[in-house]
Amino acid sequence: MPQLTCIDPNEQEIDVTFEPGETILQATYRAGVDGILAECGGGCSCATCHVILDATWDGTVEGPSVQEADMLSFAIDPTPHSRLACQVELNDKHDGLTLSVAKRQY
Amino acid sequence: MKIGIIGAGQAACTLIAELIRGQFDGEMLVFNGESHRPYQRPPLSKTWLTHPTETESLRLLPDPIENHPSVQWIQQRVTGIEPDDGLIVTERDRYSVDQIVLATGTRAKKLAIDGLPSEKTHVIRTLDDAITLHSALDGVQNIAILGAGFLAFELASSLDQPTRTIRVLAKGIRALPQVSVKAADRLLDATPASIRVDVTVERYDEDSAALITNHGSIPADLVIIAIGAQANTELAEACGLGTDKGIPTDSYMQTPHPCVSAIGEVSLHDQPHMKQKMRVESISEANDTATTLAKRLLGQPEPFNATPWFWSDQGELKLQIAGLCARTDEETVLINTETECVVMRHQGDRITAVEAVNAAKEFMAARRLFEQGPISLGSAIEAGSLFSLLQSSRS
Ligand SMILES: Cc1cc2nc3c(=O)[nH]c(=O)nc-3n(C[C@H](O)[C@H](O)[C@H](O)COP(=O)(O)OP(=O)(O)OC[C@H]3O[C@@H](n4cnc5c(N)ncnc54)[C@H](O)[C@@H]3O)c2cc1C
Ligand code: FES
Repeated sequence: MPQLTCIDPNEQEIDVTFEPGETILQATYRAGVDGILAECGGGCSCATCHVILDATWDGTVEGPSVQEADMLSFAIDPTPHSRLACQVELNDKHDGLTLSVAKRQY
Repeated sequence: MKIGIIGAGQAACTLIAELIRGQFDGEMLVFNGESHRPYQRPPLSKTWLTHPTETESLRLLPDPIENHPSVQWIQQRVTGIEPDDGLIVTERDRYSVDQIVLATGTRAKKLAIDGLPSEKTHVIRTLDDAITLHSALDGVQNIAILGAGFLAFELASSLDQPTRTIRVLAKGIRALPQVSVKAADRLLDATPASIRVDVTVERYDEDSAALITNHGSIPADLVIIAIGAQANTELAEACGLGTDKGIPTDSYMQTPHPCVSAIGEVSLHDQPHMKQKMRVESISEANDTATTLAKRLLGQPEPFNATPWFWSDQGELKLQIAGLCARTDEETVLINTETECVVMRHQGDRITAVEAVNAAKEFMAARRLFEQGPISLGSAIEAGSLFSLLQSSRS
């Protein structure tokens, strides 16, 4: 199965397998990666599932919708590579993707 | 300490997760009255009905929390509690605990319609309800939804298909009375459902497959009752700790009995934002009451002081509400463009809620402003947007 590498807020590295079609939230949540709160369970309404994708993946992952970008602007310390984990759908091309979980969700 | 948690829904699961994150060193017995592992409800009326994927995608708790050694899952309905003796009773057993947490949520209100066979009557509250509804959809052309709230219109969008006619039948004089007239107009413009208001259903006529109403006969191969929820308060009522209106608690989610707490949709407590005691049905309420209780159980009590918020997906439109208002609160439109609509609800100059349609920035700005204190209508209008108001309040 394809895999993600997640760096949690305590700098722990965790490998997470995923099924194509799942979102980053579904994959990381199942694995219990620390630091993702996801209060609205993927409804793009809480911005507490903030992750930062490794810059080398720019262009491989489809960019955020207006709704997501607006929500992201209220996350804590967003970066140009910030995403809401619930809005990024994964496919086979994302095998090996590295991301870090935001240090704080609020 | 041994905590017995009754119900395994949103509030219960947030409590469990918060206690584990807070290094709670006791035991939790969780009584799950449903036959599924804890799952999320919001998707049931939204994406799940169109893409009924594996129930895995609905899971509410990550593995490390669900399988944590401090949590024992008991797949049984609780039939009674005896707070003075710290007892939780099921049909099979009696369990002794130090603290009882009622997290029993609500159930869908039913409505008996003369002549309507049970296989054509649906509600949507649980995953089983959604599975039953989904499996009854084959070949269905006419769907009648009774009730005209968020749930009814979410369902209408999710069930929409070219070969289907969906009719939303409201008892009252308007659809979506929970939001302003303006926001409702925006949402209803986009709904695939046709809407009838002021409808009284008399009976169902099986031969013509139609509901007989004061507006004549309305075709319905299937009827969904979405007229609201009823709090599951029976366990509390039986020991004098609540009524069918809810289970009263203080700001730390404690009932008058020192060993019993109530969280989530059943708890009736002081909502600082509304300056009154009320029961609120939303994910934010479930999470915030659970977090408040977790803090108390972890020995760091802080009173409930959250501002409610809510969202609903209406087809392509996303409604997000910061705050909470009475239906009678005034409405003033702040932004109304082709793509966005933002309406402020207020009592005089004090904004009580901000309704944002496809306007996430305004919704989040309103949440942040509410965290700082009351928002004045005058200053929001002057700033032109809540986002600008937030920025000026920070500079
Ligand atoms: C279809 C649908 C869509 C929704 N969409 C949204 C949305 O978009 N946004 C939003 O903010 N909110 C939404 N909600 C509301 C949200 O899901 C609820 O507010 C939230 O789940 C309440 O959490 P709770 O823990 O209080 O109750 P619940 O999640 O209902 O959990 C209570 C649990 O307790 C169990 N229980 C009851 N009695 C017993 C007993 N005696 N023994 C054992 N178990 C028992 C019940 O079976 C249930 O599983 C939606 C709800 C539904 C049904
Ligand atoms: S889970 Fe709430 S925005 Fe992603």
